[in-house]
Amino acid sequence: MISDKKEQLVDMMLQMYENSTEAIFFFSSEGKTISMNPAAENIMDVYALEQLKKGAENALCNVCRGYTSESDLTTCRDCYFTSSNHGNFSSFQVFLETVGKGLVPYSATFHVIDDEKGTRVFILRDLSIQFETQTKLQQNTMMKNIIKAQENERKRISRELHDSVAQELLSAVVDLRALKYMTDDKEVLKKTGESTATLIRLMDDIRNLSVELRPSALDDFGLEAAFRSHFKRVEESYGLTIDFRSTVKRARYENEVETVLYRICQEAVLNAIKYAQVETVQVHLLEDGNTLQLIVKDEGIGFIPGENPIGSGLGLYGMNERAELVLGNVTINSEIGKGTTVHLRVPLDENREVAK
Amino acid sequence: MDYTEEYQLQIEKIREALGCDIIALALVEPAENLHVLKWQYISGNISERIKKVVLQSGKGIAGGVFKNGKPLLVSDVSEFAARDDLFNYPILRLEKLKSIGATPLWHGGRVVGVLLGGFREPHLMTPEKLQMLISMSKSGMGTLDGKEMMRN
Repeated sequence: MISDKKEQLVDMMLQMYENSTEAIFFFSSEGKTISMNPAAENIMDVYALEQLKKGAENALCNVCRGYTSESDLTTCRDCYFTSSNHGNFSSFQVFLETVGKGLVPYSATFHVIDDEKGTRVFILRDLSIQFETQTKLQQNTMMKNIIKAQENERKRISRELHDSVAQELLSAVVDLRALKYMTDDKEVLKKTGESTATLIRLMDDIRNLSVELRPSALDDFGLEAAFRSHFKRVEESYGLTIDFRSTVKRARYENEVETVLYRICQEAVLNAIKYAQVETVQVHLLEDGNTLQLIVKDEGIGFIPGENPIGSGLGLYGMNERAELVLGNVTINSEIGKGTTVHLRVPLDENREVAK
Repeated sequence: MDYTEEYQLQIEKIREALGCDIIALALVEPAENLHVLKWQYISGNISERIKKVVLQSGKGIAGGVFKNGKPLLVSDVSEFAARDDLFNYPILRLEKLKSIGATPLWHGGRVVGVLLGGFREPHLMTPEKLQMLISMSKSGMGTLDGKEMMRN
Protein backbone atom coordinates (compact mmCIF):
# COMPACT_ATOMS: atom_id res chain seq x y z
CA MET A 1 0.00 0.00 0.00
CA ILE A 2 2.72 2.36 1.04
CA SER A 3 4.87 1.39 -1.90
CA ASP A 4 1.85 1.92 -4.15
CA LYS A 5 1.52 5.45 -2.96
CA LYS A 6 5.22 6.03 -3.36
CA GLU A 7 5.12 4.66 -6.87
CA GLN A 8 2.25 6.99 -7.65
CA LEU A 9 4.19 9.92 -6.25
CA VAL A 10 7.33 9.06 -8.22
CA ASP A 11 5.21 8.80 -11.30
CA MET A 12 3.67 12.22 -10.70
CA MET A 13 7.02 13.76 -9.88
CA LEU A 14 8.40 12.44 -13.13
CA GLN A 15 5.47 13.85 -15.05
CA MET A 16 5.89 17.19 -13.35
CA TYR A 17 9.59 17.15 -14.21
CA GLU A 18 8.87 16.35 -17.86
CA ASN A 19 5.88 18.61 -18.46
CA SER A 20 6.31 21.55 -16.11
CA THR A 21 6.69 25.02 -17.58
CA GLU A 22 9.17 25.72 -14.80
CA ALA A 23 12.78 25.00 -15.57
CA ILE A 24 14.24 22.44 -13.18
CA PHE A 25 17.95 21.62 -12.81
CA PHE A 26 19.69 19.16 -10.52
CA PHE A 27 23.28 19.87 -9.63
CA SER A 28 25.77 17.69 -7.82
CA SER A 29 27.72 19.06 -4.85
CA GLU A 30 30.59 19.88 -7.22
CA GLY A 31 28.28 21.97 -9.36
CA LYS A 32 28.00 19.53 -12.22
CA THR A 33 24.66 19.15 -13.94
CA ILE A 34 23.01 15.86 -13.06
CA SER A 35 19.85 16.47 -14.97
CA MET A 36 17.66 19.20 -16.43
CA ASN A 37 14.06 19.04 -17.64
CA PRO A 38 12.78 19.95 -21.17
CA ALA A 39 11.61 23.38 -20.01
CA ALA A 40 15.16 24.10 -18.85
CA GLU A 41 16.67 22.84 -22.08
CA ASN A 42 14.31 24.98 -24.11
CA ILE A 43 15.55 28.27 -22.72
CA MET A 44 19.27 27.48 -23.12
CA ASP A 45 21.18 28.28 -26.25
CA VAL A 46 23.15 25.52 -27.97
CA TYR A 47 26.53 26.36 -26.45
CA ALA A 48 25.26 26.75 -22.89
CA LEU A 49 23.26 23.57 -23.19
CA GLU A 50 26.34 21.66 -24.34
CA GLN A 51 28.42 23.05 -21.48
CA LEU A 52 25.73 22.22 -18.94
CA LYS A 53 25.33 18.69 -20.24
CA LYS A 54 29.08 18.17 -20.20
CA GLY A 55 29.04 19.28 -16.59
CA ALA A 56 31.58 22.00 -17.31
CA GLU A 57 32.55 24.35 -14.51
CA ASN A 58 30.49 27.56 -14.22
CA ALA A 59 28.35 26.42 -17.14
CA LEU A 60 25.38 28.38 -15.81
CA CYS A 61 27.40 31.61 -15.96
CA ASN A 62 27.07 31.47 -19.76
CA VAL A 63 23.45 32.50 -19.45
CA CYS A 64 23.13 33.88 -15.93
CA ARG A 65 23.19 37.68 -15.76
CA GLY A 66 23.19 37.90 -11.99
CA TYR A 67 20.59 37.84 -9.24
CA THR A 68 18.85 40.64 -7.40
CA SER A 69 20.31 41.45 -4.01
CA GLU A 70 19.36 44.13 -1.51
CA SER A 71 21.84 46.54 -3.10
CA ASP A 72 21.77 45.67 -6.81
CA LEU A 73 19.26 44.67 -9.44
CA THR A 74 21.77 42.24 -10.90
CA THR A 75 24.87 41.13 -9.06
CA CYS A 76 27.32 38.22 -9.00
CA ARG A 77 28.59 39.02 -5.54
CA ASP A 78 28.08 36.11 -3.19
CA CYS A 79 26.73 34.01 -6.07
CA TYR A 80 23.85 31.74 -5.17
CA PHE A 81 25.55 28.88 -6.98
CA THR A 82 28.76 28.89 -4.99
CA SER A 83 27.57 30.47 -1.74
CA SER A 84 27.73 28.26 1.27
CA ASN A 85 24.80 30.04 2.86
CA HIS A 86 22.02 28.14 1.13
CA GLY A 87 19.33 29.46 3.42
CA ASN A 88 19.41 32.82 1.64
CA PHE A 89 18.47 31.35 -1.70
CA SER A 90 15.19 29.62 -1.05
CA SER A 91 13.50 32.36 -3.07
CA PHE A 92 15.20 35.07 -5.10
CA GLN A 93 15.12 36.81 -8.43
CA VAL A 94 17.59 35.97 -11.15
CA PHE A 95 18.07 37.17 -14.74
CA LEU A 96 18.89 34.69 -17.49
CA GLU A 97 19.66 35.24 -21.13
CA THR A 98 17.22 32.90 -22.89
CA VAL A 99 16.75 31.70 -26.43
CA GLY A 100 13.97 33.59 -28.19
CA LYS A 101 12.86 35.78 -25.28
CA GLY A 102 16.12 37.54 -24.50
CA LEU A 103 16.82 38.64 -20.94
CA VAL A 104 14.10 37.24 -18.70
CA PRO A 105 13.57 37.78 -14.98
CA TYR A 106 12.94 34.55 -13.09
CA SER A 107 11.74 33.80 -9.65
CA ALA A 108 14.24 31.14 -8.55
CA THR A 109 14.83 28.75 -5.74
CA PHE A 110 18.13 26.98 -5.15
CA HIS A 111 18.52 24.52 -2.32
CA VAL A 112 20.00 21.23 -1.21
CA ILE A 113 17.60 18.29 -1.41
CA ASP A 114 20.04 15.61 -0.38
CA ASP A 115 22.27 16.53 2.52
CA GLU A 116 24.41 13.42 2.22
CA LYS A 117 25.35 13.77 -1.44
CA GLY A 118 24.90 17.52 -1.52
CA THR A 119 22.52 17.38 -4.49
CA ARG A 120 20.91 20.66 -5.19
CA VAL A 121 17.84 21.68 -7.16
CA PHE A 122 17.46 24.92 -9.10
CA ILE A 123 13.92 25.85 -10.14
CA LEU A 124 13.05 28.83 -12.32
CA ARG A 125 9.67 30.43 -12.86
CA ASP A 126 9.22 33.03 -15.64
CA LEU A 127 8.25 36.41 -14.18
CA SER A 128 8.14 38.50 -17.35
CA ILE A 129 4.34 38.49 -17.68
CA GLN A 130 3.92 39.54 -14.06
CA PHE A 131 6.50 42.24 -14.63
CA GLU A 132 4.64 43.55 -17.65
CA THR A 133 1.36 43.62 -15.75
CA GLN A 134 3.05 45.46 -12.94
CA THR A 135 4.67 48.01 -15.23
CA LYS A 136 1.35 48.59 -16.97
CA LEU A 137 -0.39 49.07 -13.65
CA GLN A 138 2.30 51.47 -12.53
CA GLN A 139 2.01 53.44 -15.77
CA ASN A 140 -1.75 53.66 -15.43
CA THR A 141 -1.62 54.88 -11.86
CA MET A 142 1.09 57.35 -12.77
CA MET A 143 -0.89 58.67 -15.73
CA LYS A 144 -3.97 59.17 -13.58
CA ASN A 145 -1.99 60.96 -10.92
CA ILE A 146 -0.38 63.18 -13.54
CA ILE A 147 -3.80 64.06 -14.96
CA LYS A 148 -5.05 64.97 -11.49
CA ALA A 149 -1.97 66.99 -10.62
CA GLN A 150 -2.14 68.83 -13.95
CA GLU A 151 -5.80 69.63 -13.44
CA ASN A 152 -5.21 70.99 -9.93
CA GLU A 153 -2.27 73.09 -11.00
CA ARG A 154 -4.19 74.49 -13.95
CA LYS A 155 -7.07 75.35 -11.67
CA ARG A 156 -4.74 77.20 -9.33
CA ILE A 157 -2.95 79.23 -12.01
CA SER A 158 -6.21 79.94 -13.80
CA ARG A 159 -7.81 81.28 -10.61
CA GLU A 160 -4.75 83.34 -9.84
CA LEU A 161 -4.76 84.94 -13.31
CA HIS A 162 -8.47 85.57 -13.26
CA ASP A 163 -8.86 86.78 -9.70
CA SER A 164 -5.73 88.77 -9.06
CA VAL A 165 -3.79 89.66 -12.21
CA ALA A 166 -6.84 90.54 -14.32
CA GLN A 167 -8.44 92.42 -11.41
CA GLU A 168 -5.34 94.55 -10.86
CA LEU A 169 -5.26 95.37 -14.55
CA LEU A 170 -8.88 96.42 -14.40
CA SER A 171 -8.05 98.86 -11.59
CA ALA A 172 -5.31 100.31 -13.76
CA VAL A 173 -7.79 100.76 -16.62
CA VAL A 174 -10.25 102.51 -14.30
CA ASP A 175 -7.47 104.80 -13.07
CA LEU A 176 -6.52 105.70 -16.64
CA ARG A 177 -10.13 106.43 -17.52
CA ALA A 178 -10.39 108.77 -14.57
CA LEU A 179 -7.74 110.93 -16.26
CA LYS A 180 -10.29 112.47 -18.58
CA TYR A 181 -11.84 114.29 -15.61
CA MET A 182 -8.46 115.66 -14.62
CA THR A 183 -7.20 117.19 -17.85
CA ASP A 184 -8.43 118.67 -21.11
CA ASP A 185 -5.12 118.11 -22.88
CA LYS A 186 -6.12 116.36 -26.12
CA GLU A 187 -2.63 114.91 -26.64
CA VAL A 188 -2.54 113.35 -23.20
CA LEU A 189 -6.06 111.99 -23.51
CA LYS A 190 -5.30 110.47 -26.91
CA LYS A 191 -2.21 108.73 -25.55
CA THR A 192 -3.99 107.43 -22.46
CA GLY A 193 -6.83 106.24 -24.68
CA GLU A 194 -4.33 104.17 -26.61
CA SER A 195 -2.80 102.85 -23.41
CA THR A 196 -6.25 101.89 -22.17
CA ALA A 197 -6.86 99.96 -25.38
CA THR A 198 -3.56 98.11 -24.96
CA LEU A 199 -4.38 97.29 -21.34
CA ILE A 200 -7.82 96.02 -22.28
CA ARG A 201 -6.32 93.82 -24.94
CA LEU A 202 -3.80 92.53 -22.42
CA MET A 203 -6.62 91.85 -19.98
CA ASP A 204 -8.43 89.90 -22.68
CA ASP A 205 -5.30 87.88 -23.37
CA ILE A 206 -4.99 87.04 -19.70
CA ARG A 207 -8.66 86.06 -19.48
CA ASN A 208 -8.25 83.85 -22.54
CA LEU A 209 -5.21 82.25 -21.01
CA SER A 210 -7.09 81.67 -17.80
CA VAL A 211 -10.06 80.12 -19.58
CA GLU A 212 -7.78 77.96 -21.70
CA LEU A 213 -6.11 76.62 -18.58
CA ARG A 214 -9.37 75.84 -16.88
CA PRO A 215 -12.67 77.60 -17.47
CA SER A 216 -14.09 78.97 -14.24
CA ALA A 217 -17.50 78.48 -15.84
CA LEU A 218 -16.94 74.76 -15.40
CA ASP A 219 -16.60 75.15 -11.65
CA ASP A 220 -19.19 77.86 -11.26
CA PHE A 221 -21.95 77.04 -13.74
CA GLY A 222 -21.40 73.49 -14.90
CA LEU A 223 -20.88 71.63 -18.13
CA GLU A 224 -23.36 73.22 -20.46
CA ALA A 225 -22.22 76.75 -19.75
CA ALA A 226 -18.56 75.77 -20.03
CA PHE A 227 -19.22 73.97 -23.30
CA ARG A 228 -21.10 76.91 -24.79
CA SER A 229 -18.38 79.40 -24.01
CA HIS A 230 -15.68 77.00 -25.13
CA PHE A 231 -17.40 76.41 -28.46
CA LYS A 232 -17.86 80.12 -28.97
CA ARG A 233 -14.15 80.58 -28.48
CA VAL A 234 -13.36 77.73 -30.85
CA GLU A 235 -15.58 79.30 -33.49
CA GLU A 236 -13.86 82.62 -33.03
CA SER A 237 -10.35 81.24 -33.01
CA TYR A 238 -10.53 78.63 -35.73
CA GLY A 239 -13.52 79.59 -37.86
CA LEU A 240 -15.15 76.23 -37.16
CA THR A 241 -18.86 75.84 -36.43
CA ILE A 242 -19.86 73.57 -33.59
CA ASP A 243 -23.36 72.20 -33.58
CA PHE A 244 -24.03 71.63 -29.89
CA ARG A 245 -27.08 69.83 -28.54
CA SER A 246 -27.69 69.02 -24.94
CA THR A 247 -30.59 66.98 -23.61
CA VAL A 248 -29.38 66.45 -20.07
CA LYS A 249 -31.75 67.16 -17.24
CA ARG A 250 -29.34 68.03 -14.51
CA ALA A 251 -27.33 71.22 -14.53
CA ARG A 252 -24.50 69.92 -12.36
CA TYR A 253 -22.68 66.66 -11.97
CA GLU A 254 -19.84 65.58 -9.77
CA ASN A 255 -16.88 67.83 -10.19
CA GLU A 256 -14.70 64.98 -11.43
CA VAL A 257 -17.25 63.86 -14.02
CA GLU A 258 -17.59 67.39 -15.33
CA THR A 259 -13.84 67.79 -15.66
CA VAL A 260 -13.45 64.50 -17.50
CA LEU A 261 -16.29 65.28 -19.90
CA TYR A 262 -15.01 68.76 -20.58
CA ARG A 263 -11.43 67.69 -21.21
CA ILE A 264 -12.35 64.77 -23.44
CA CYS A 265 -14.69 66.97 -25.44
CA GLN A 266 -11.99 69.61 -25.73
CA GLU A 267 -9.50 67.03 -26.98
CA ALA A 268 -11.96 65.46 -29.42
CA VAL A 269 -12.96 68.84 -30.88
CA LEU A 270 -9.33 69.92 -31.14
CA ASN A 271 -8.53 66.69 -32.97
CA ALA A 272 -11.33 67.46 -35.43
CA ILE A 273 -9.92 70.96 -35.94
CA LYS A 274 -6.41 69.66 -36.42
CA TYR A 275 -6.94 66.62 -38.58
CA ALA A 276 -10.48 66.13 -39.86
CA GLN A 277 -10.46 69.05 -42.33
CA VAL A 278 -14.07 69.95 -41.64
CA GLU A 279 -15.94 73.16 -41.04
CA THR A 280 -18.59 71.73 -38.72
CA VAL A 281 -18.40 69.42 -35.73
CA GLN A 282 -21.41 67.97 -33.93
CA VAL A 283 -21.39 67.64 -30.18
CA HIS A 284 -24.21 65.92 -28.35
CA LEU A 285 -24.53 65.67 -24.60
CA LEU A 286 -27.17 63.28 -23.33
CA GLU A 287 -28.28 61.15 -20.43
CA ASP A 288 -29.37 57.62 -21.14
CA GLY A 289 -30.67 55.72 -18.16
CA ASN A 290 -27.86 55.83 -15.71
CA THR A 291 -25.10 56.92 -18.03
CA LEU A 292 -24.01 60.35 -19.08
CA GLN A 293 -22.90 60.34 -22.69
CA LEU A 294 -20.96 62.65 -24.92
CA ILE A 295 -20.77 62.23 -28.66
CA VAL A 296 -18.37 64.26 -30.77
CA LYS A 297 -18.89 63.62 -34.45
CA ASP A 298 -17.34 65.00 -37.62
CA GLU A 299 -17.73 64.11 -41.25
CA GLY A 300 -14.11 64.66 -42.08
CA ILE A 301 -11.36 62.63 -43.67
CA GLY A 302 -11.24 60.03 -40.90
CA PHE A 303 -8.36 57.73 -40.03
CA ILE A 304 -7.60 54.07 -39.53
CA PRO A 305 -7.64 53.33 -35.79
CA GLY A 306 -4.37 51.77 -34.67
CA GLU A 307 -2.43 53.08 -37.67
CA ASN A 308 0.52 55.42 -37.23
CA PRO A 309 -1.06 58.64 -35.97
CA ILE A 310 -0.25 62.01 -37.54
CA GLY A 311 0.17 63.56 -34.12
CA SER A 312 1.70 62.01 -31.03
CA GLY A 313 -1.16 59.53 -30.60
CA LEU A 314 -1.13 60.44 -26.93
CA GLY A 315 -4.39 62.37 -27.12
CA LEU A 316 -6.48 59.28 -27.75
CA TYR A 317 -4.61 57.41 -25.02
CA GLY A 318 -5.18 60.30 -22.63
CA MET A 319 -8.91 60.31 -23.38
CA ASN A 320 -9.15 56.69 -22.28
CA GLU A 321 -7.12 57.35 -19.17
CA ARG A 322 -9.31 60.27 -18.23
CA ALA A 323 -12.49 58.28 -18.79
CA GLU A 324 -11.17 55.52 -16.53
CA LEU A 325 -10.81 58.06 -13.75
CA VAL A 326 -14.61 58.15 -13.45
CA LEU A 327 -15.16 54.50 -14.46
CA GLY A 328 -16.24 55.58 -17.92
CA ASN A 329 -15.10 54.43 -21.33
CA VAL A 330 -14.37 55.98 -24.69
CA THR A 331 -15.00 54.36 -28.05
CA ILE A 332 -13.59 55.89 -31.19
CA ASN A 333 -14.97 54.96 -34.56
CA SER A 334 -13.38 56.29 -37.67
CA GLU A 335 -13.54 55.47 -41.33
CA ILE A 336 -11.51 56.99 -44.13
CA GLY A 337 -13.62 59.49 -46.01
CA LYS A 338 -16.61 59.15 -43.67
CA GLY A 339 -15.46 60.85 -40.52
CA THR A 340 -14.84 60.17 -36.88
CA THR A 341 -17.08 59.67 -33.87
CA VAL A 342 -15.86 59.81 -30.30
CA HIS A 343 -18.34 58.34 -27.84
CA LEU A 344 -17.85 58.73 -24.11
CA ARG A 345 -20.00 56.95 -21.56
CA VAL A 346 -19.79 57.72 -17.87
CA PRO A 347 -21.89 55.81 -15.34
CA LEU A 348 -23.70 58.04 -12.84
CA ASP A 349 -24.44 57.30 -9.18
CA GLU A 350 -21.51 54.91 -8.97
CA ASN A 351 -19.34 54.57 -5.99
CA ARG A 352 -16.29 56.16 -7.48
CA GLU A 353 -14.10 55.77 -4.44
CA VAL A 354 -12.77 52.51 -5.84
CA ALA A 355 -11.27 54.29 -8.80
CA LYS A 356 -9.46 56.85 -6.72
CA MET B 1 -18.55 106.74 -50.53
CA ASP B 2 -18.12 105.36 -47.02
CA TYR B 3 -14.95 103.86 -45.58
CA THR B 4 -16.08 100.28 -46.11
CA GLU B 5 -16.39 100.64 -49.86
CA GLU B 6 -13.18 102.61 -50.07
CA TYR B 7 -11.23 99.92 -48.23
CA GLN B 8 -12.74 97.18 -50.35
CA LEU B 9 -11.92 99.10 -53.51
CA GLN B 10 -8.35 99.64 -52.38
CA ILE B 11 -7.66 95.98 -51.69
CA GLU B 12 -9.29 94.93 -54.97
CA LYS B 13 -6.86 97.29 -56.68
CA ILE B 14 -3.89 95.86 -54.80
CA ARG B 15 -4.95 92.32 -55.65
CA GLU B 16 -5.16 93.23 -59.33
CA ALA B 17 -1.77 94.96 -59.29
CA LEU B 18 0.01 92.09 -57.54
CA GLY B 19 -1.88 89.27 -59.25
CA CYS B 20 -2.59 87.66 -55.88
CA ASP B 21 -5.29 85.07 -55.23
CA ILE B 22 -6.26 86.85 -52.07
CA ILE B 23 -5.75 90.17 -50.31
CA ALA B 24 -6.98 90.53 -46.77
CA LEU B 25 -6.95 93.48 -44.42
CA ALA B 26 -7.17 93.05 -40.67
CA LEU B 27 -8.04 96.09 -38.60
CA VAL B 28 -8.46 96.73 -34.93
CA GLU B 29 -12.14 97.15 -34.20
CA PRO B 30 -13.36 100.26 -32.41
CA ALA B 31 -13.41 100.51 -28.63
CA GLU B 32 -17.03 99.40 -28.29
CA ASN B 33 -15.98 96.05 -29.75
CA LEU B 34 -13.11 95.76 -27.28
CA HIS B 35 -10.41 96.50 -29.86
CA VAL B 36 -10.43 92.99 -31.29
CA LEU B 37 -8.53 92.26 -34.47
CA LYS B 38 -10.44 90.74 -37.37
CA TRP B 39 -9.93 90.20 -41.08
CA GLN B 40 -12.47 92.85 -42.02
CA TYR B 41 -11.88 93.25 -45.72
CA ILE B 42 -11.05 90.43 -48.09
CA SER B 43 -10.80 90.13 -51.81
CA GLY B 44 -10.58 86.76 -53.58
CA ASN B 45 -11.77 84.71 -50.61
CA ILE B 46 -13.46 81.32 -51.07
CA SER B 47 -15.61 81.60 -47.95
CA GLU B 48 -16.88 84.25 -45.57
CA ARG B 49 -15.87 82.09 -42.62
CA ILE B 50 -12.55 83.83 -42.04
CA LYS B 51 -14.30 87.13 -41.29
CA LYS B 52 -15.78 85.57 -38.16
CA VAL B 53 -12.41 84.63 -36.75
CA VAL B 54 -11.28 86.85 -33.91
CA LEU B 55 -7.53 87.22 -33.97
CA GLN B 56 -5.57 87.27 -30.78
CA SER B 57 -2.49 89.40 -30.49
CA GLY B 58 0.56 87.23 -31.02
CA LYS B 59 -1.42 84.37 -32.51
CA GLY B 60 -1.82 83.46 -36.15
CA ILE B 61 -0.52 85.44 -39.11
CA ALA B 62 -2.19 88.73 -38.28
CA GLY B 63 -1.58 88.37 -34.55
CA GLY B 64 2.12 87.76 -35.10
CA VAL B 65 2.61 90.63 -37.53
CA PHE B 66 0.50 92.87 -35.31
CA LYS B 67 2.62 92.13 -32.27
CA ASN B 68 6.05 92.13 -33.94
CA GLY B 69 5.40 95.05 -36.25
CA LYS B 70 7.50 93.33 -38.90
CA PRO B 71 6.56 92.04 -42.34
CA LEU B 72 6.27 88.29 -42.72
CA LEU B 73 7.05 86.20 -45.78
CA VAL B 74 6.12 82.54 -46.06
CA SER B 75 6.95 81.59 -49.62
CA ASP B 76 5.99 77.96 -49.11
CA VAL B 77 3.55 77.05 -46.35
CA SER B 78 4.70 73.41 -46.40
CA GLU B 79 8.14 74.64 -45.29
CA PHE B 80 6.68 77.00 -42.72
CA ALA B 81 8.10 76.49 -39.23
CA ALA B 82 4.62 75.89 -37.86
CA ARG B 83 3.55 73.56 -40.68
CA ASP B 84 2.42 70.90 -38.21
CA ASP B 85 0.24 73.38 -36.34
CA LEU B 86 -1.49 75.00 -39.27
CA PHE B 87 -4.81 74.85 -37.46
CA ASN B 88 -3.49 77.81 -35.48
CA TYR B 89 -3.44 79.81 -38.72
CA PRO B 90 -7.09 79.78 -39.78
CA ILE B 91 -6.59 81.99 -42.81
CA LEU B 92 -4.11 79.55 -44.35
CA ARG B 93 -6.41 76.61 -43.68
CA LEU B 94 -9.76 78.16 -44.58
CA GLU B 95 -8.50 79.86 -47.71
CA LYS B 96 -6.12 77.04 -48.67
CA LEU B 97 -3.19 79.42 -49.03
CA LYS B 98 0.24 78.05 -49.94
CA SER B 99 2.33 81.19 -50.15
CA ILE B 100 1.77 84.47 -48.32
CA GLY B 101 3.26 87.80 -47.36
CA ALA B 102 1.95 90.16 -44.69
CA THR B 103 2.86 93.63 -43.52
CA PRO B 104 1.83 95.80 -40.58
CA LEU B 105 0.04 99.11 -41.12
CA TRP B 106 1.36 101.89 -38.94
CA HIS B 107 -0.43 104.90 -37.60
CA GLY B 108 0.71 107.25 -34.88
CA GLY B 109 3.57 105.01 -33.78
CA ARG B 110 1.31 101.99 -33.44
CA VAL B 111 0.32 99.05 -35.56
CA VAL B 112 -3.33 99.50 -36.46
CA GLY B 113 -3.77 96.72 -38.97
CA VAL B 114 -2.24 93.99 -41.06
CA LEU B 115 -2.33 93.63 -44.83
CA LEU B 116 -1.93 90.15 -46.26
CA GLY B 117 -1.39 88.97 -49.81
CA GLY B 118 -1.53 85.28 -50.64
CA PHE B 119 -1.49 82.62 -53.31
CA ARG B 120 -2.97 79.14 -53.44
CA GLU B 121 0.21 77.88 -55.13
CA PRO B 122 3.58 77.72 -53.32
CA HIS B 123 6.51 80.06 -54.02
CA LEU B 124 4.44 82.74 -55.78
CA MET B 125 4.91 85.24 -52.97
CA THR B 126 8.44 86.56 -53.45
CA PRO B 127 10.44 89.20 -51.53
CA GLU B 128 9.82 91.56 -54.48
CA LYS B 129 6.06 91.00 -54.34
CA LEU B 130 6.08 91.55 -50.59
CA GLN B 131 7.99 94.80 -51.14
CA MET B 132 5.31 95.88 -53.61
CA LEU B 133 2.64 95.01 -51.08
CA ILE B 134 4.43 97.07 -48.44
CA SER B 135 4.80 100.13 -50.64
CA MET B 136 1.21 99.89 -51.85
CA SER B 137 0.02 99.64 -48.26
CA LYS B 138 1.84 102.87 -47.53
CA SER B 139 0.50 104.79 -50.51
CA GLY B 140 -2.97 103.29 -50.70
CA MET B 141 -3.84 102.72 -47.09
CA GLY B 142 -1.94 105.61 -45.59
CA THR B 143 -4.66 108.07 -46.46
CA LEU B 144 -7.35 105.81 -45.11
CA ASP B 145 -6.21 104.44 -41.78
CA GLY B 146 -5.89 107.91 -40.35
CA LYS B 147 -9.58 108.53 -40.91
CA GLU B 148 -10.41 105.09 -39.54
CA MET B 149 -8.42 105.81 -36.42
CA MET B 150 -10.20 109.12 -35.92
CA ARG B 151 -13.44 107.24 -36.11
CA ASN B 152 -12.18 104.85 -33.47
